[in-house]
Amino acid sequence: MGFGDLKSPAGLKVLNDFLADKSYIEGYVPSQADIAVFDALSGAPSADLCHALRWYNHIKSYQKEKGSLPGVKKALGQYGPAGVEDTTSAGGDAADDDDDIDLFGSDEEEESEEAIRIKEERLAAYNAKKSKKPALIAKSSILLDVKPWDDETDMAKMEECVRTVELDGLVWGQSKLVPVGYGIKKLQIACVVEDDKVGTDQLEELITAFEDYVQSVDVAAFNKI
Amino acid sequence: MALRELSSLEKFLGLKKPNKYSTQGDRKVPVLQSNSAPSLVGLGTIATHLAQEAKRPDLLGASAEERAVIQQWLEYRVARLDGCAKEDIKTILKDLNAYLEDKVYLAGNHISLADPLMYYGLHHIITDLAVQEKEKYLNVTRWFDHMQHYPGVRHHLPPVVVLRNRVYTSGHH
Repeated sequence: MGFGDLKSPAGLKVLNDFLADKSYIEGYVPSQADIAVFDALSGAPSADLCHALRWYNHIKSYQKEKGSLPGVKKALGQYGPAGVEDTTSAGGDAADDDDDIDLFGSDEEEESEEAIRIKEERLAAYNAKKSKKPALIAKSSILLDVKPWDDETDMAKMEECVRTVELDGLVWGQSKLVPVGYGIKKLQIACVVEDDKVGTDQLEELITAFEDYVQSVDVAAFNKI
Repeated sequence: MALRELSSLEKFLGLKKPNKYSTQGDRKVPVLQSNSAPSLVGLGTIATHLAQEAKRPDLLGASAEERAVIQQWLEYRVARLDGCAKEDIKTILKDLNAYLEDKVYLAGNHISLADPLMYYGLHHIITDLAVQEKEKYLNVTRWFDHMQHYPGVRHHLPPVVVLRNRVYTSGHH
């Protein structure tokens, strides 16, 4: 996050690009975020950066109310397009990756105190954000067909065995018995897994380990949630 | 269509008692009957009257210049936007895009009556725009997205997805 050095043309260009389809830095009403970025600018952007200029003039009209705008002023590195590196830190090898945003402008060598502070804050915020990640885990719903050896197999016992399989990221769901023919029934059981932690081959292996009951396991259905 | 719009506008203005409207003519011009006063005809007129009834003179403009601009857009809505031909749409969008380049709201630095009314009027046009056209008229898209997120404006209209796509540049900078 961050726009880079807002006193440099490169940073202003990032800001301009960012504001092209937005009226405000954050959300749809003026907030402390706008004030924070406004204060970081040394003056009005030039006329060719029309979006930044538009935003600047608009926020200027809120000068009287700036104390009462909603939100909390955060460090500059918190605002702006995601994926733009805080250019006030010393340059690196990422310069070639994002060619639509000029990351490292003209001042990559400056390691002023403020730059270091912003970098630290950004790192801390990034780590805090990472540790709160649980909200975005990819999950899938898998339907497994567990087939017994013959029609004499105790299906209730088989289901019990299957349910004893415990893995981190695995939650068993509903099950039902589906007749296959000749009196044989297969166990159709659903489960929800976290993609990162559990794979279908792992599941199949663990279930087929119950050799007394289970002849084979197939994945009947696999849906991303 | 104008009638649903007027009832959404009433909600936006915070008017508690909805009015009864009727339409006249084959262009379905809305009419507001009232007991004490002569009936009001026309979307812009009724909208202005509602804003005053809701005691929101700020929506009508603080200065004489602002008031004029707002009335100008109300008139634009009724005269040029409603029932415009397909060929005109490009011109309208081009004009709006140029106008909105340095403005966040249509008139001044605060929302006014012109903004929701133009939003309602443009909605069907913006819904039909392709992604590259939305990118081409970037300022209109930005203003439109801002309006549909403004509390109280959207109401009966479905939100239009506005996604920035860098593949199609606006050819601007």
